[in-house]
Amino acid sequence: MTLTAFSPPPPGADYDDLRQEVRAFLADELADFPPIKRAESWNGFSRDFSRKLAQRGWVGMTFPKEYGGHARSALERYVVSEELLAAGAPVISHWIADRQSGPLILAKGTDDQKRRIVPRIAAGELCFCIGMSEPDSGSDLAATRTVATEVEGGFRINGTKVWTTYAHVADYMILFCRTGKSDDRHGGMSQFLVNLKETENMSISPIIDLAGEHHFNQVVFDNTFLPSDALLGEKGEGWSQVMSELAFERSGPERFLSSFALIEELIRLLREDATEAQQAEIGRLSAHLMVLRQMSRSVAGMLNEGKNPSLQAAIVKDLGALFEQDIPRLARSLVTRPAVPGGRDSYAAVLAYTELAVPSFSLRGGTREILRGIIARGLGLR
Amino acid sequence: MESMIHDMAERLFRDHVTHRMREDAASGQCPEALWTQIEEAGLTMALVPEDAGGFGVPPAEALGLVRIAGAHGLPLPLAETLIANAVLAAANMALPGGRLTIAEGEALRLERRGKKIHASGHLTLVPFARWANRIVTIGVLDGADHVLSLPVKDLIVDPAQDLAGMPRDDIELDHTLTETDAPPLPRPVGGMRGLGALIRSLATTGAMETILEMSVQYANDRVQFGRPIGRFQAIQHNLATMAGETAASRTAAEMAAGSYDTPAFALAVAAAKARAGEAAEKVGALAHQIHGAIGYTQEHALHHFTKRIWGWRDEFGTELDWTRELGRAALSSPHDTFWHFITDSAAKGTQA
Repeated sequence: MTLTAFSPPPPGADYDDLRQEVRAFLADELADFPPIKRAESWNGFSRDFSRKLAQRGWVGMTFPKEYGGHARSALERYVVSEELLAAGAPVISHWIADRQSGPLILAKGTDDQKRRIVPRIAAGELCFCIGMSEPDSGSDLAATRTVATEVEGGFRINGTKVWTTYAHVADYMILFCRTGKSDDRHGGMSQFLVNLKETENMSISPIIDLAGEHHFNQVVFDNTFLPSDALLGEKGEGWSQVMSELAFERSGPERFLSSFALIEELIRLLREDATEAQQAEIGRLSAHLMVLRQMSRSVAGMLNEGKNPSLQAAIVKDLGALFEQDIPRLARSLVTRPAVPGGRDSYAAVLAYTELAVPSFSLRGGTREILRGIIARGLGLR
Repeated sequence: MESMIHDMAERLFRDHVTHRMREDAASGQCPEALWTQIEEAGLTMALVPEDAGGFGVPPAEALGLVRIAGAHGLPLPLAETLIANAVLAAANMALPGGRLTIAEGEALRLERRGKKIHASGHLTLVPFARWANRIVTIGVLDGADHVLSLPVKDLIVDPAQDLAGMPRDDIELDHTLTETDAPPLPRPVGGMRGLGALIRSLATTGAMETILEMSVQYANDRVQFGRPIGRFQAIQHNLATMAGETAASRTAAEMAAGSYDTPAFALAVAAAKARAGEAAEKVGALAHQIHGAIGYTQEHALHHFTKRIWGWRDEFGTELDWTRELGRAALSSPHDTFWHFITDSAAKGTQA
């Protein structure tokens, strides 16, 4: 049963020298970065931080050198990613581009698109967002209604995207929309590179989440013109292009480290004198974390070998979301300090922040229900 | 992983381990003929280093045999014999051949009496003791691990069994040994509990892979409300949960197997036994839920596997034993942060 086999990462995958360099950089850069900011995890935004990281060669690490990358392995990139997340560094400005949009452009883009955009991603200058969900198309991506109609010199886009994270600050969107009719539910879809700073007849408005924060947006395309060279990859191949991004999107350390700031706060409180029951709970948490990390590193190894481990990635994301969503419950079962939004006590503030964040973890990047359906089909259910 | 010994074991067990054999074993009958074939194939020597008579496969591959045996519900002490032979070889002791087993030696008292060593205490729940020639255990004398190889014929064995009906026997020890019968280990292996936990984690993984396969098959075959029950989302999600738990258990067990004989083993095996035990609880429950009433019968094969994984949770340390140990290590670690503890626990496993 190959679905349950996660081959160990190759020997030497630990890259200890690189890890120590990243730790030293983070200790310096984030010296005064408070726990409540770290709790934002990969939702934290700082163009300045992303640029500094890129100056060290830690953005676009796996991209070829001719496009400003560093030709390093997916496993070296993994070390940098997990160190950033464990420290709660503000990485979202480059995260999406580095994780999936850059690799997508490199795989499917024209030479001109690669030259124009990829080096700027590797320089930490570009922030990407993903235009996938719509008001009537969430988990059911094939129900996408936004449509691109071919006109002279390009396309006219009409439709609405929602839950578009950081569209209000991003430079580019990878837009997923319909370009034709097809008998196949998955046919007739395409992807476009939308320059958000220069495109007209497009409006971006905030959707405030339950924590009162502005990450999401609604993006309305109203007869918006995109030039021909905005098409990314083959017309009509959007579905398979999106599917090939998923293994990158679903298997990384951000799928189980989103609550890590709360874990560090909790352990800080328990360190002095923990009861046996508290020790056991921390031991259970450690076991889960060690195993998830090994599974996620295994997928990085498979990606590095050019395989498509999308089923294994779905398993990592499903288990990872359960883990990171369980951390507030665990904290509450071990410590009796109430959650206080914005509280002076860092544990109380981080608990409050994390409690309000966790419901989204099994929604973003594919809901739990979608992932389990994918896994079940992978098991050979007829 | 392509492996000749795995293929060999897979074929041997597929052809010979039957529902009937597992039934007979649970009522006390040792499948002697199959053991002879296992030994003739050399499988019991797989974890022994080449210079001690093994055939030089990496430890992780040799230990893969335990997962395969678990997947077939093999009612014989192959896993125990693999470990026993490896420990005997590590102590430069003779490898006696035949069925061997291992016992936790934590409750064992060793003391010097002149030139002899006296061993006393209870060995409890010793797997397959009454079917074995020797029990190999590790006790502490003068602060150092010593290996004992005890001939079963000289011991009084009080028979008991685990949930699956496999022999788990109690032994009262009051025995005088020569120094050559209880030599020190040149390099400590951390006692028999960790090694026992390793094989139980691997076997649990294998058994869960079979349980998952049986459950997928059943969900495809069983028709209710006019369609296979696997078409219902509730069933699909339970199967997906089982797959995730099984994959986590396999990753954990293989991480421990991969760190065998390295400084990372102590923490890796703690994580493996705890994670596999937790998975066993979920996977067993969901498999029975999917199988409905037929899976709850003696006649159906499912119980041989679910009872094994439930029983193995209680051997060589429960989840509570191992999570406490891991938690103590995490909370008392000298590292600056918990994260450093986690990354370091794996980095120490890199084999030179």
